[in-house]
Amino acid sequence: MILSFAVNGKTVTVEGPPLRRLLDVLREDLGLTGTKEGCGEGECGACAVLLDGHLVNSCLVPLFQVAGRSVETIEGMAPQGSPDALQRAFMDEGAVQCGFCTPGMVMASRALLRENPSPRRKEIRTALAGNLCRCTGYEPIFRAVEGAAAAGYEVAPPPPAPEFRVTCTEEGRIAFFPESLPEALEILRQHPDAVPVAGATDLLPDLTRGGLPGPHRVMDLTRLEELRGIREEDGVLVLGAGETFASLGRSPLVRRLFPSLGECAASVGGVAVQNRATLGGNVMNASAAADSPPVLLALDARGVLVSGEGTREVPAKELWTAYRRTARRPDELLTAVKIPRPAPGTREAFFKLGPRRALVISRLTLVCAARLEEGRWRGVRIAVGSVAPVPHRLEELETFLEGRVPEEGAVREARRLAEDLLRPRTSREYRRDVGGNLVGRFLSSWISPR
Amino acid sequence: MTPTGNVLGSTPRRADAWEKVSGRAEYVDDLSIPGLWFGGTLRSAVPRGRLRGISRRESFDWSRVVVVTASDLPGPNEVAMVRSDHPILAADAVNFVGQPLALVAAPDRQTLAAALGALVPDVEEAPAVLTLEEAQEGRTVIWGADNVLAAYVLGDEEDAVAEAFSRADRIVEGTYTTGYQEHLYLEPQGMVALPREDGGVEVTGSLQCPYYVHRALQRALGLEDHRIAVRQAVTGGGFGGKEDYPSVLAIHAALLARASGRPVKMVLGRNEDLRFSTKRHPSVVRHRTGVRSDGTLCAAEVDVLFDGGAYTTMSPVVLSRGALHALGAYRVPRARVTARALATNTPPNGAFRGFGAPQTIFAVERHMDLIARELGISPLEVRRRNLLRRGDRLPCGQILTEEPGASLVLERAQALAKYETRHGTLRKEGRGLGLSLFIHGGGFTGSGEEKIDGRVAVEIGAGGRVEILASSTEMGQGAATVLPQIGAQALGLPLDRIFHPAPATDRVPDSGPTVASRTVMVVGRILVGACEDLAAKVARRLEEAAGLPEGSVTWREGTFRGPGFPEKSFEGVLDQWKDRLQGLRGEGRYAPFPDLHWDDDAYRGDAYKDYSWGANVVEVAVDPDRHTLTLCAVTAVVEIGRAVHPLLAEGQVAGGTLQALGYGGMEDLRIDDRGRYLQDRLSTYSIPTALDAPDLVVEIAEIPSPRGPFGAKGLGELPINGGAPALASAVEDATGVFISTIPITGERLFAHRRDGLSDEPS
Repeated sequence: MILSFAVNGKTVTVEGPPLRRLLDVLREDLGLTGTKEGCGEGECGACAVLLDGHLVNSCLVPLFQVAGRSVETIEGMAPQGSPDALQRAFMDEGAVQCGFCTPGMVMASRALLRENPSPRRKEIRTALAGNLCRCTGYEPIFRAVEGAAAAGYEVAPPPPAPEFRVTCTEEGRIAFFPESLPEALEILRQHPDAVPVAGATDLLPDLTRGGLPGPHRVMDLTRLEELRGIREEDGVLVLGAGETFASLGRSPLVRRLFPSLGECAASVGGVAVQNRATLGGNVMNASAAADSPPVLLALDARGVLVSGEGTREVPAKELWTAYRRTARRPDELLTAVKIPRPAPGTREAFFKLGPRRALVISRLTLVCAARLEEGRWRGVRIAVGSVAPVPHRLEELETFLEGRVPEEGAVREARRLAEDLLRPRTSREYRRDVGGNLVGRFLSSWISPR
Repeated sequence: MTPTGNVLGSTPRRADAWEKVSGRAEYVDDLSIPGLWFGGTLRSAVPRGRLRGISRRESFDWSRVVVVTASDLPGPNEVAMVRSDHPILAADAVNFVGQPLALVAAPDRQTLAAALGALVPDVEEAPAVLTLEEAQEGRTVIWGADNVLAAYVLGDEEDAVAEAFSRADRIVEGTYTTGYQEHLYLEPQGMVALPREDGGVEVTGSLQCPYYVHRALQRALGLEDHRIAVRQAVTGGGFGGKEDYPSVLAIHAALLARASGRPVKMVLGRNEDLRFSTKRHPSVVRHRTGVRSDGTLCAAEVDVLFDGGAYTTMSPVVLSRGALHALGAYRVPRARVTARALATNTPPNGAFRGFGAPQTIFAVERHMDLIARELGISPLEVRRRNLLRRGDRLPCGQILTEEPGASLVLERAQALAKYETRHGTLRKEGRGLGLSLFIHGGGFTGSGEEKIDGRVAVEIGAGGRVEILASSTEMGQGAATVLPQIGAQALGLPLDRIFHPAPATDRVPDSGPTVASRTVMVVGRILVGACEDLAAKVARRLEEAAGLPEGSVTWREGTFRGPGFPEKSFEGVLDQWKDRLQGLRGEGRYAPFPDLHWDDDAYRGDAYKDYSWGANVVEVAVDPDRHTLTLCAVTAVVEIGRAVHPLLAEGQVAGGTLQALGYGGMEDLRIDDRGRYLQDRLSTYSIPTALDAPDLVVEIAEIPSPRGPFGAKGLGELPINGGAPALASAVEDATGVFISTIPITGERLFAHRRDGLSDEPS
């Protein structure tokens, strides 16, 4: 296919297969080798660029989704050949050593400062957590960002993008760009093999790993307004399937109503992944270690599946049918996730287990919700992910706790029961112990004041 | 030479800062080369066996590619390193999963992948040895007569040690285990080879040691010296990982370039890099120590075991440094160290920042904590009572004639972190404080520097700029900035008049490899000699021009002077005479220290020219439910003689300390039952992110050394030695659990707690 997009304010026209990585297009077709490949799976940030102003990993962006959009790379930072103030701060603070992470690190810092001109240290850490550096210990990089901010570094808005225009050339490999939901559903009706693509953060690494050419037909979901929006309707929170984890994490509505979902969103990968990965993609990709499904299970969410035939709402419990399988029919599209407003007094907790604080593939996700009514636990819902092929609720445990009075003995029993119910294939004892402990931590919040 | 400039100790911008921060720096994968082909490797899927043959599927059009197997090699089938046991391509025996069996070059990546998929190796599998235990048992012998790749005995005679043990009030024993570690340089391994019309080859790549690659190519291809040129591309991190492995990749790329007659690029994907490049040697170290009741050491026996992987590579040298650092920063009147590296059917392990010392320093530091625990004194106090002081003797027999920095760094670190008052008080908050004291010898071990006999040249180039010709490479650590600083200091030049470009073996002399914390201390000292030689030659030219007799113009304190000759600075002379001086070259050569001696056979003497010292205090929080660690605050104090560039020096300490904390904490790397790494992607091999890095306080202390230029000592590796034991010590303070194995993953800490290895009062 042939398409146009802007790179550092200049319109370029590129030909290539729809799923060709933006990284390869930049490096090989456009000769912009400042963007580096460190891992090819979105786990290092060396290839980070800005897409319409947002930080993304260019190894996770398929070419067809760049059409009509604006890309900023390190080469655009100092077109006149003299360092921009952020680059100068990197040089002066010793934030550059081997230099391989530097372009991505500078782009991540630029994205942060565009949104937040005077970030605190914690915010800098979070903004850069998807960009690995092995040389500096990060400290000089933090100082550089702080230094640039203190000097009043101003980031211009992203340069404009050219008009969206695409020509499909290659017969076998086709990309669809529906502009409306009916159009998308019609495409799915005609081509049940077309793979809907949202953030592509799971799809591209899977293809790279398998060395596969990928599906013959792909359909871009990012242009569908119907998949957007975070709103409350009659006591139900409606989350567009196309909303990214970044927007969920930022949404005051989500944060207020469902803190566990907000925490979950902020725990996905790093910023560049959160900017691309969508709730719908996470649900439909159905990875056993996906972050959001246990949250949706614990919150009694429903998936809205739409086809030309009509709309059906599927409870979270029935959404994931087997390892990497969902209840979605090939002609259906997940358009939204609905979460009923919690009963007053409901407490939630989101726990994730991993070796570090960002870029974590969860080894155990545990999400709990419950409230106290007349001194007894009610509405107890406990869901787990990463410990079985399919995320699920611990129903025996819920039944055990429902209506019970919070006291030490019940917590002890619940811990034991949680351990019994967790049966991961590997690291079994450890993950059971942690699961029990975290259930205990959640329940204990009603006993000993925090 | 008297220091003349004011460049040393200043913090100019890095020489490579702009090209890197602007994205213009060209790493090997960024090079644009017309007609480039892509190279790839067919690898063994079995850990041990016999290669009976490789068949080619007929469905593939083999005329589109070139294939190289062991039978096509023009020279001996060996990657020249310490020994010759490491084949370029398996000819018969296969010894690890991933061992190269054949090479393919193709015009594009798709064709390459198809060709590799159409080659079918036939390997008859044999029983493999995968663990140190199996290698030690020796039921299956995979290397030599007994699986022993290297062995050393170091220190006092057994009788003397036994006698010293008899004077001990107490014997303390402990066993300490460390796992693999991956360097995780952000830029994966990569090499491009270009065939030359004269039959020679030119190789450009991501590498630390151009002459290692040069010699490996010479041996493998049977080419004369001048038909090979090895150039360093901008290198995105090394940490030792680009010391030995680039020789393998360079030979492979060169073979394909010669076979195809085209430039061939081999850049490893991260997965391939993680699976098959070298790692830090796993270790088991046993300590048995005689102590007095006041905590002073009187005798020690240490047994060191390293897992070398399938071939020798650097293991004997790594093991040697590990053995020599086995008693750390402590005085032990009688000590004996035995050390062995064993072969297993796993990818060969190799050089990694610290080079054996992080393993043995982890063991001795933990053991000092164990002694403190058993005697009921504090970890700080047991270190104070035993740390090395001037005049003390190391197990290798070396007497410390200079003031060691041990006490200085220990006291400074503990004061900065308020260790003395806070240790033992944080457990109720789920936090703990840990301490480590460590040492690192600068430069090659023993007579290594004398054998390398390093050379450096400086040449006056166009425009009166001085070029440093040294094979030392910039890989992020700052060589391209600090070597010019040393040269500028020596010549009294402003920094912009002297530079050190990326080396190529057809341009620079062999200054030795860029390893062993030797670039500043050893190469820098040779550079000063080269500068002196250049100044002397300039003085001769000045005499000639002025018609003065030889010896009348001298170079002293940054000035050329002589009777009837107006005093001039080096810069002034360059400004005035740059055209006439262009091409003038000063040469330096390693000058041995007459008072330092090493006996290779007895494995005894002055093991290192000088030592650098460090102390860490780590504050950790332990999640009581997940058993995972959070690094709260870390204090790192180092004594490095003189800091050439304090900001870059701090950067080395900060980065090395975090790498060490990753080694001790989260960097879990294990093998499966086929000897394959289980964590072979960045999604499974975890290094610290910006959210995991602790608040870090770095302080540099200076006790100028007579062994390095302007007092400077080694720095690069030192910071990797202390993080892991300090972290383990902090976890002990937080939980009461004595940790003797790293990495301290949540799972491991859970297992320790479950097994009741706690001193918690019940």
